[in-house]
Amino acid sequence: MTNFLQLVVVGLSSGFAYALVGIGMVLIHRTTGIVNFAQGAFAVMGGLVTATLVDDVPTFLAGLLAVLLVAAVGGAMGFVALGRRGRTTLLASLIITLGLALLTSAVHLLVFTDVPRTYPRISATSWDVGGVTVDPQYVLIACVSLASALLLTFVLRRTIVGNALVACSDSRRAAELVGLSVRSLGVLSFAVSAALGALAGLLIIPLIPLTYDSDVSIAVNGFAAAAFGGLDSIRGALAGGLVLGIAENLVIGYIDPQYQLAIGLVIMLMIISWRSRHEVAT
Amino acid sequence: MGLSAMVAIGLSLLMGFAGQVSLGQGAFYALGAYAAGLLSVPKELFANGLGLDPLLALAAAPLLTATVAAVVGVPLLRLRGHYLAFATLALHLILLSVIFGEERLTGGQTGLIGIPALEVGGRTITGNLHTAVVWALVVVCFVIAQNLVRSRAGRGLQAIATSEASAAAAGVDVASYKLRLFVLAAGFAGLAGGLYTYLLLYLSPDAFTLLISIEFVVMVAVGGLGSVSGAVLGAVVVTLLQYYLQKFGTRQELLGLDLPIQTPTVARIGVYGLIFVLVMLFFPRGLLPAFTGALRRLGRR
Repeated sequence: MTNFLQLVVVGLSSGFAYALVGIGMVLIHRTTGIVNFAQGAFAVMGGLVTATLVDDVPTFLAGLLAVLLVAAVGGAMGFVALGRRGRTTLLASLIITLGLALLTSAVHLLVFTDVPRTYPRISATSWDVGGVTVDPQYVLIACVSLASALLLTFVLRRTIVGNALVACSDSRRAAELVGLSVRSLGVLSFAVSAALGALAGLLIIPLIPLTYDSDVSIAVNGFAAAAFGGLDSIRGALAGGLVLGIAENLVIGYIDPQYQLAIGLVIMLMIISWRSRHEVAT
Repeated sequence: MGLSAMVAIGLSLLMGFAGQVSLGQGAFYALGAYAAGLLSVPKELFANGLGLDPLLALAAAPLLTATVAAVVGVPLLRLRGHYLAFATLALHLILLSVIFGEERLTGGQTGLIGIPALEVGGRTITGNLHTAVVWALVVVCFVIAQNLVRSRAGRGLQAIATSEASAAAAGVDVASYKLRLFVLAAGFAGLAGGLYTYLLLYLSPDAFTLLISIEFVVMVAVGGLGSVSGAVLGAVVVTLLQYYLQKFGTRQELLGLDLPIQTPTVARIGVYGLIFVLVMLFFPRGLLPAFTGALRRLGRR
């Protein structure tokens, strides 16, 4: 039982990170209709930049700088991915973000080489809760992830900018008709999602070292989390990330670490094909 | 080069004509390669080898791959757009973890050695002869693809690419058409994979990374969506590009600057990324069609 709980606790920590990546995907998909493949690249960039900066500046400042940098890069990518007005289809935008993810990993390889990077956790000692080891880093990830989800939900519901983003997701054409700049809002949603992705990366990298090519599995897991709620629900992405994180970690513990990603993906495939059966053909 | 062309023909039918994005065509390529390898490796060299005649194994490779595609295609093709793209990508990742994980079946990280050479009528098919056989089969695939495009089924598939709902309304059996095309494209990839096995006579999982699936999509994007000959041309151009990038990347220095050892990989993924962005933004019909179109316009002046 303790073993099981331990696996669940570790799984929750990566689950919260997937959830952050997934929430970013949901935000972009709601505002622009684009599924952003580069979401994994944001996480890797956030992690790698922080791990490099911690040598020179305090950890908190390093993280903050990384988030700001990635948000700026994300906004720029959003501008490219939104493509040319009326000319770029949503599927074309997906391929563009795939291209941007490839370009980013090329830059990562050039700048950070292919050595896995990491930096120390917030505390070297961990807590013992009834036989289960709880690393303070897990708690940090959970808090940041939950706080981000709550803050984002609050912003979307209660602020003007948030309402404008929701308006875009309801109908882009109607949002344009009432005078909103759908394009700038799209860029904004990319920047915010990039910041969320960067947070996920910089929080998980002390536990799981990242390399330039970690972005694919992060993007796929993030998509799986987002797809859990049909790509449109923040709560769904949060739940999806946690389910995925726990399931993958149980696979590591009880079956074979080799199949961690594979089983996660099989679960995702089953969920999305089950969902699609209940959707009306569009 | 010919091998990639074969896969690209299938993928271009899938993407260009039926509008189904597959980011996992490399999975079927790998499946064909491993099927051919495992069927023909003699038992003495590899415990799970079947030691069949290589020719028989080569014939079985596309059939087995197509069968697998038919089975996984039923749930997969119910997904549309973004979901299908991620699901096919997931398929490739799942296959890779099986190859790495089931060491006793696939040789795992060490790979599969001792695959016998392909022999037809006492002649061993290697080197130039292998290339000739590959291109002959590319022509066969090409003819099949061209015929399909011009047929009733081809028109049905094009209707699906435009709008699944209206195609269905016009009496096209959407699910069955999509599945049959998916199976055909997988068969082409499986055949190419089988031929690859008898080119190297050695299989390593490192040859089937996710990058090859992406590479096939790059080929189709370069050659133009919805053009079978464009797919062949795209495969040729991208393979050449890949060769020159490799040559360029392994140089010690450029303009007096020392190049790091990662340069070949950086150049490869960087250029692929750039091609995706540029093609999708400015040349949605493909790089080569845009290029020849521009030449034609210049010629008319």
